[in-house]
Amino acid sequence: MSRNSENGWRSKELPYDQVIEKYPEIPPIVALKIDVSRRGIHYTQAALDRVDPDKHHVEPYNYMIGHGKNAAPIGLFLRDGSVICQGDTPDYSKAYRDPYTLDVVDGRLVLTDEEIGKVYEEVTFWDRPDFYDKKTSNGTPMCLVASARPQRITIAPQTKCHFWDTPGEGCKYCALFSAHRSKDDEGEIRDEKWFQDVEETTREALKEKGRYCSFHMTAGSTLSGAEIFDDEVDLYIKTLHAAEKAFKTEKFPVKLVASAFSKKQLQRMYDETAITTYTTDLEVLNPELFKWICPGKSRLVGYEEWKHRLYDAVEIFGRGNVDCGIVGGVETAQPNGFADEDEALAAVLAEAEEMGRHGVSFADCVWNALPGSMFVNQKTPSLEYYVKLALGLAEVRRKNGLKIYTDDYRRCGNHPNTDLARID
Amino acid sequence: MAEISRELADIINDKESLKVIATTDAQGNPHVVFKGTLHTEGQDLVFYDLLQSSQVNKNLVSSIWFGRKVAINILAKDKRSFLITAKPRRSVTAGRVFEEVYASLKDRNPDGDLNAIWYLEPEHIEEKTFAVRRAEEEAAFPILKHLDRLVKEERS
Repeated sequence: MSRNSENGWRSKELPYDQVIEKYPEIPPIVALKIDVSRRGIHYTQAALDRVDPDKHHVEPYNYMIGHGKNAAPIGLFLRDGSVICQGDTPDYSKAYRDPYTLDVVDGRLVLTDEEIGKVYEEVTFWDRPDFYDKKTSNGTPMCLVASARPQRITIAPQTKCHFWDTPGEGCKYCALFSAHRSKDDEGEIRDEKWFQDVEETTREALKEKGRYCSFHMTAGSTLSGAEIFDDEVDLYIKTLHAAEKAFKTEKFPVKLVASAFSKKQLQRMYDETAITTYTTDLEVLNPELFKWICPGKSRLVGYEEWKHRLYDAVEIFGRGNVDCGIVGGVETAQPNGFADEDEALAAVLAEAEEMGRHGVSFADCVWNALPGSMFVNQKTPSLEYYVKLALGLAEVRRKNGLKIYTDDYRRCGNHPNTDLARID
Repeated sequence: MAEISRELADIINDKESLKVIATTDAQGNPHVVFKGTLHTEGQDLVFYDLLQSSQVNKNLVSSIWFGRKVAINILAKDKRSFLITAKPRRSVTAGRVFEEVYASLKDRNPDGDLNAIWYLEPEHIEEKTFAVRRAEEEAAFPILKHLDRLVKEERS
């Protein structure tokens, strides 16, 4: 028996159909995306048989995780033009809830809930980026230099997060770059050859006209330098300078998701690179839980200082051009998190409101207890909680007159609250 | 679903026809815009939205989310007009088809951009040409007219 078939989770929370009835202001398709992100997707053999690696976007390995796996799709299109950033979950026996199913019904690729026996939405696979087949002049496969979503290219200059250097100090929900966590592992090597690879890969990717709206960079945190993160800033600047050679303008749409840089570091990034927006993730909007869930960030920067650095960033980039990523729902992790979902929501939205008044927008990732994270066995919140969180964060943005184009459905696609900005 | 006749498809696909789309936002505020790229693909009405921040795009996203309808009017060069009510069926924002349309638009306007391809499913089609409507009204409701139109001419 799997964990999810034993625990009776379906009887303990409102199902999708009742949630959309109770909250008519949430678009059903956004609620479904949230629920799929929360529960995951299992591909049937019929769905897998529909995958054409020459046509569809399959990852030979998970670029953002670093583990090897079978080549498989990493996301789906919904009929409103938004995306679900989830691939196949082959083994879900240890997950708290069983996943949605991607199946073929009446010749259509659809999301279903097998136990309920209902077809929810028709979906399509993402198309394969043209550059995935190419190699740089150094012989590096370009799919190892960059990853892509339907409308963004992603480069990760650092595949090691150094908060993991001190045992137990990595963020507890995080599975990113989990292949590089041992103290002696420095991650992928970024020598001059690699920067040349970045330039060539960027140039090649841009030949696919009409595909990319955003150049996305993110990486594990680098703590070294005269001031904490100085070396990380240097690495981003050098990477951007390599990519910039492919562009004719000094500024272009970059979505940088990085550590909480000091004002001096931010000013340098703004002055010396193409960036016009900036994202740094406070992850959990509660000082005490931040200390428990993100111990490295807490010890070396601190909650209030991280927040203060977001406010400093607003002075440089402007209101609505500074974004704070959160792992929505992780505030309910046990044993230290909120046991009551209403209390959790009230606390998170109050803090979001304060930060929104300072011009900071939010990007809410649906917390999924991922393999490779310390929270793998946690129970994530109900769908109702996530729906109220997305609606509440959207209201904070509207109330404070903020835009979120830098992290919207098109330039990222993984945030239900920013999907809601499509009609603002 | 209403069927688009061959004759109407030809009118819709004629570059000299005028095509307007009326949508509403979530609060019910109306919005009307001319869409020269509106054309038929099979039984779908399709047009290209060029600006992500356009009101018609926001209203169509809201409509596809909450199941609202839109109204389209086609005015042919011979002044025949057709009202179509439709439901947004699909928005294509990326992918091979998107890139093909993007390239074709760039041929016409090298500095242009593309936000979305919208596919609309017609639910009801009605001819609204004035002469047709007038004949319909006179046949169905002969009392709907000003009396002076019925005045007997006096002999001079």
